[in-house]
Amino acid sequence: MRLGTVIGRVTLSKAEPALTGARWLVVSPFTREHFQQGTEQPAGLSKDPSLVVYDNLGAGVGNTIGFVEGREAAQPFDQPTPIDAISAAMVDYIFYNPKS
Amino acid sequence: MLLARVEGNLTATRKHPSFEGWRLVICQPIGAAGEPEGAPQIAIDAHGAGMHQRVIISSDGAATRRAVGDEKSPARWMVVAVVDEVAPGTTALQDSIA
Repeated sequence: MRLGTVIGRVTLSKAEPALTGARWLVVSPFTREHFQQGTEQPAGLSKDPSLVVYDNLGAGVGNTIGFVEGREAAQPFDQPTPIDAISAAMVDYIFYNPKS
Repeated sequence: MLLARVEGNLTATRKHPSFEGWRLVICQPIGAAGEPEGAPQIAIDAHGAGMHQRVIISSDGAATRRAVGDEKSPARWMVVAVVDEVAPGTTALQDSIA
């Protein structure tokens, strides 16, 4: 799981039947240099590319979420679902103290 | 599996039910000399790894699902071991002998 800030939402007109009704977020992932401490979010966007994440927690723009990438993202579904990133946690507080 | 250093933890009230009761730690993947490599990963921790301690994290989703006891869990990374010494003579918090 990685952490990131929700910076937008995506709505689809045409989609795979397995994806209809889904909620999608655009997430900017945190890098080491750009990591949230406490509840204060870092300013601006990180250098890592943003990605689209399937959401079933109800996260909104400005929230910090934990998202899972890879095959495991499709694990909560009964049917085979073509997704590779899913939100798994809405983060309340981060204690981060990198070793310099 | 990756060698990583624990650099924090986080709390989340709203999360996938399979994460309920698990400690979530921020793990920075590192090289042999302790230099950071790549973005920090969040892993579930059953071993109680301490701050700045070295750990081994595994991305085996199947094993992590078995650990949390939920086949429908999206959990992927877990702390599988706490490192004693990377090179002979070092401690869990030391980068190298020098």
